[in-house]
Amino acid sequence: MRYLLTKFTFKDVSGIWIFLILSGIGIISGAFSVFGAETADVVDYRTFFGFDPRTTVWIIAELHLMFGAFVLGVPMFAVTVEYVGVLTKEERYDRLAKDFTRLLSASFALTAALGGLLTFALFTLYPKVMTFMSGIFHESFYIYAFFFFGETFVLYFYYYSWDRLKNRKGIHISAGVLLNIIGLIIMGISNSWATYMMSPSGIDPETMKFTGTLMDAIWNPLWNPLNLHRILGNAVFGGYVAGAYAAVKFLTAQTEEDRAHYDWMGYVGNFIAIVSLLFLPFAGYYLGREVYSFSPIMGNNMMGGAFSWTFIIQAIGIGSLLILGNFYLWMGMGRIPGAERYQGFIKFILFILTLSFAIWLTPHNLPLSSGEQLQMGGQYHPTLKYFGLMPAKNAVINFMILGTFFSFLLYRRGNISKTIPFSKQGAGAKIWTLIFTGLAFAAILWYGEFLWNLDPKELDLPPQKAEVFSLAAWCLIGQAFFIVVAVVFTFKDQGKIGQAILFTYTVINTVFILGIYGFVVMAEASPFLRNIAVAQWLSMLSCIIAVLTIDIFLFRKAEHMGAIRWGKMSAVSQYVLLTLFIVALLTMGIMGFIRSGLRENWHVYGVLQDTSEWAFTPTNLYAAKVIAFCALTFIIMMTIAFWLSELGEKKKVVTTSNS
Amino acid sequence: MKRVLPIVIFIFAVLAAFVYVGQVVTDISGGGVATAVAEGVSPEAGEAIFFGKGKCSTCHSVGDEGSAIRCPNLGENNIAALLSLPIGLRATERAALRSEQTGEHFSATDYLVESLAEPGAFVVEGFKNEMPYVYKSPIGLSPDEVKAVVLYLQSQGGEVDVAQIKLPDVILASQKEESEPWQPYFAGDPENGMELFFDEESNAGCARCHTVAEKGGKVGPELTTVSGTRSPQYIVESVLTPSAVIASGFESILIITNDERYLTGIKKGEDEQSVSMMLDSGEVLKVSKEEIKEVAPQETSVMPSGFADDLTMTEFHDVLAFVLTLDGEQAIGGDAGDDEENDEDGDEEGDDEEDDAEADEEDEGSGDDSGEDQEDADDSDESDTDTEKDVSEGEET
Repeated sequence: MRYLLTKFTFKDVSGIWIFLILSGIGIISGAFSVFGAETADVVDYRTFFGFDPRTTVWIIAELHLMFGAFVLGVPMFAVTVEYVGVLTKEERYDRLAKDFTRLLSASFALTAALGGLLTFALFTLYPKVMTFMSGIFHESFYIYAFFFFGETFVLYFYYYSWDRLKNRKGIHISAGVLLNIIGLIIMGISNSWATYMMSPSGIDPETMKFTGTLMDAIWNPLWNPLNLHRILGNAVFGGYVAGAYAAVKFLTAQTEEDRAHYDWMGYVGNFIAIVSLLFLPFAGYYLGREVYSFSPIMGNNMMGGAFSWTFIIQAIGIGSLLILGNFYLWMGMGRIPGAERYQGFIKFILFILTLSFAIWLTPHNLPLSSGEQLQMGGQYHPTLKYFGLMPAKNAVINFMILGTFFSFLLYRRGNISKTIPFSKQGAGAKIWTLIFTGLAFAAILWYGEFLWNLDPKELDLPPQKAEVFSLAAWCLIGQAFFIVVAVVFTFKDQGKIGQAILFTYTVINTVFILGIYGFVVMAEASPFLRNIAVAQWLSMLSCIIAVLTIDIFLFRKAEHMGAIRWGKMSAVSQYVLLTLFIVALLTMGIMGFIRSGLRENWHVYGVLQDTSEWAFTPTNLYAAKVIAFCALTFIIMMTIAFWLSELGEKKKVVTTSNS
Repeated sequence: MKRVLPIVIFIFAVLAAFVYVGQVVTDISGGGVATAVAEGVSPEAGEAIFFGKGKCSTCHSVGDEGSAIRCPNLGENNIAALLSLPIGLRATERAALRSEQTGEHFSATDYLVESLAEPGAFVVEGFKNEMPYVYKSPIGLSPDEVKAVVLYLQSQGGEVDVAQIKLPDVILASQKEESEPWQPYFAGDPENGMELFFDEESNAGCARCHTVAEKGGKVGPELTTVSGTRSPQYIVESVLTPSAVIASGFESILIITNDERYLTGIKKGEDEQSVSMMLDSGEVLKVSKEEIKEVAPQETSVMPSGFADDLTMTEFHDVLAFVLTLDGEQAIGGDAGDDEENDEDGDEEGDDEEDDAEADEEDEGSGDDSGEDQEDADDSDESDTDTEKDVSEGEET
C-alpha cells in the first residue's frame, strides 16, 4: 500500500483533483443559484456570452461523450487484451494492454473536466430544464459521483499495480473487470438522464407531472436499449482508437521492430473493433425498435421523416466501416505467406459489399420536382423504391456482415498448410465444439419455437395472420438443422464442407429467403417485420459462432507456410486504420445528433417543451460541421494527452537506463 | 515533422469529406426541418396539419403523396384492394361497420372523428394499434386543428361538411387557454383603408390583383373572407414580406421557351399539350409544351415586396384595418358597390366584374382550380400548404 501511495504524484491524480475542484465549484455555484433564485427574475434560457446555448451544450456534451467512450472503451480493450495475453502467454499482449491503460490517466482527467464544464453549461444555460431534471434525478447525481470516485481509485489501482501483480494476474484482471463494471454503472446512470428526456416514464398522463419513483425514471423504455448500444459502441471505439494510435506510431516509426509492433497492434485493435461491430447493427435495430414502440411519431421521424436523410449519412458511416475493415484485412493478407491462394475470392466479396452498400444507402424517396417525377414515372423509382425499404436494408446489412466474416476466415487460414484432423484434436475440441454449436443451435430453436407459437394478437394482428409466421419459423428450423449437419461433417473430419454448407444456407436464408419474405410481411402483417429482422440476425450470428468454433479446432496445431511478416504493410493500410477511427468518431456524432434530435421541440419528450428560439432541427450540413469540429477538437486533445503521457514514459526510460 | 504532416492533412481531408457529404445531403433533401403551422378550419389547413404539425404523414400516405407505409394509405391507391378507396369514401363503409359493431349510428364523419379521438376503437386489419392521440402531447392539436384534419380527410373522395363534425369532450377539453389577442400598433381607419385598397392609383392598390366581394383582379388570392381564416400576424406578413409564405396555387413559375423567351407568372393549369400561366397583367397565357424548354418554380411571390417603403404607417394600418373587417359576412353585406361613397368606382368595377367573369370562364376551360381561393397557411420556409378556402365553400362542395 505504501508502495502505491509513494508512486502517486500530483500529475497522476490530476483527474481526481480536477473532479473535486469542479464538484466544489458546482456545489458553490448551485448554492448561489438557489439563493439568487429568490431575488432574481426567473430565466428559462441563457446564452453563452451571446452565443447559441444549444450549440454550446452540443459541443461540450459531444466532446464529453467522445472522451467518455474512450475512457470506457479502452478498459474493455485493455482487459480483453490482457486476458488474451494470459491465455496465449505472449508478453506483447500484456505490454499492449498496459500501454493503453497508461493513456487513460490523462484522458480520464480531461473527461472529468469536460463533465464538469457540461454540468455548468447545462445549469447556467438551461436552468428550467435542469430544475426539472434535478427534481427527478437529484439522488442519482450523488450515486453518480460516488461511482466516479470508485472508478478513479480502481483505474489508478489497475494501472499502478500492473507490475506488482505481475504474477497474480487473476487479481489484476479482476480489478480490470471491476473497473469496467463501475464504468458501465456510471454510463448507465448518465444514460438514464439522456433516455428519460426521450422516453419519460412515471408521468401522469392527465397532468403530465412526474409521479413515479427514481427507479421509474431510470428504468425508462429506452434505457436498456441505449445501454446495450453504447456498451458495444464503446468496445468498437476502443478498438479503433487502438488501431489509429498504432497507425500513427507505425507511420512515424524509425525502426523495423517498432513498425512490426505497431502493425500487430493495429491488427489487434481492428480485430476487436470488427468483432464488436458485428453485434452493433442488431443493438442499433433494438434501440430503433424501442424508439418506435415508445413513440411511433418519434420512430417515423427517425427513419422516414425529418432524420431519414441524416440516416443516409449514418449509413455511409457504417457501410464505410465494414468495407474499410475488409480492405484492411485484404491488405493484411499481403504479409501472410500463402494467403495469395485466397486472393481470388476478394473480387467476389468486394462485389457483394459494394452492391450491398449501394442498397444500404438507397433512400426510399427523393425530394423531386414534378418534372423529375414525370421523367421517373412517379414519386418512387419503379425498382429502386424497394431498396429503400427496411426488408432490403435488413438483408444487405446481414450480407455485409457475412461478407466481412468470410474475409476474416480467409485471413485466418492464409498461411495454414497441413492440418490435423478434427478427430485427433482431443476431447477438449469436441466438447467445446459441442458447447458452442449447441448454444447456437439452442438459440435458433428457441426463437423458431417462439415464432411458431406467436399469438397474432400480441402484434395486433387477426388470428389468420399466424400463417405468415410459419415460414420464418421453418427457416430457423432449417438453420438449426444445418448447424447439426456442419457439426456432423466436422466430427467426420470434413469440417470445411460442413462450414461451407452452413455458410451457404445462412446466406440463402438470411439474405434471400427472409430478405425477400420481408416485403411480403410488410404488406401482409407489417408488425411482424421486426421478428423477421431478429430471425435474420440470429441466423447470421449462429452461423458465425458455429463456423468460427469449427474453424478454431479445424486449424489448431496446423502447420504454417511461414510466419506473418509483421511490419510489412503499406502506408495505405495505416491510413485505412486512421480513417476507420475517424469514421467511427463521426458516426458516433451523427447517431447522437439523431437520437437527441428526435425529441424535436421538446426537452423532455411530450412533457417539457423547448420554448427557446433554438427549438428547431438544424440542417444536416450544420450538424456535420459541428460534429466535424468536435471530432477535430477531440483528436487534438487526445494527441496532446498521448504526448504528455509519453513524456512521462520517456523520462522513466531515461531514468532506468541511467540507473 | 515530415512524417506527421501527411497524417494531419489526411485527418483534415477526411473531416472535410464528411462536411461535404453533409452539404450534399442537405442540398438533396432540401435543408432544415420546419414545423408546419396552419390556421383556419378548412381542408387546406387540414392538409397542412396532416403533412406538418399533426405528423400524420409520418405514418400515413395519401395516394401518391408521402412515402409512409406504417399505417393505411388514406388516398386512392393500388396497394391493397380493401384500402384502395380514398378515406372520404372508405369512411362510409367503415361507418356502416362501426354501426353494426357498436349498435350506434355512425356517419362517415363520425368514423373519421372517432379515428382521431379514440384511434384504438377500430384498428384496420394488418396494422398495429399504435396511433397516438393527436390532441394530446407531444402533438397537441387544438379542436379547430382536429376539425381541419377531419375536413381534409372528408375531402379525400367524400363530402366536405364542417357541420357534421361533432368533436367529443376529450378533444374539446384539450383546448388550451386563449392568449391575449393580437393588436396592431394603432387602430387604422377601415374606410380610408377600403379606398386605398380599391384605388388602383394609390400606393396600395390591392384590388389590382385581389378580389373582395367580386371586385378586383384575379392575379392574387381572393380576400373576401381573409380575416375569418387568417390571423392578423399572417396578414401583416403577407403584405410586408409576400414571399415568406406563398399561397398554394399562387406560386410563380418561370417558363423558358425554345426561342429563349422568359415568362414569369402564376401557373394556372397544365394538360398534356400546354401549361397555362397568369401574367402580372392578369392575362392568362397558354404555352404549348412543344415550345417549352424548361419550367422552373420560383421562390419569389409575384406580389410586389415594396409596401413597407411605399405605404406610410397610417396608410398601412388603414389598409390593415379594412382587411381585418373582411370576415365574409361583412364584406358581402357591405358590398362596396352598394356603398354610396363608392358609386363612382362602382361603375368602373362593374366593368371589371365582366372581365373577371370572362377570366373565370377561361380558367374553368383550362381545368383550373384557382377559383377556390387558396392561400398558404404554412409558416415554414419549406411547406406549401393552403387554407383560405373557407368552411362555407367547403359546405357547397
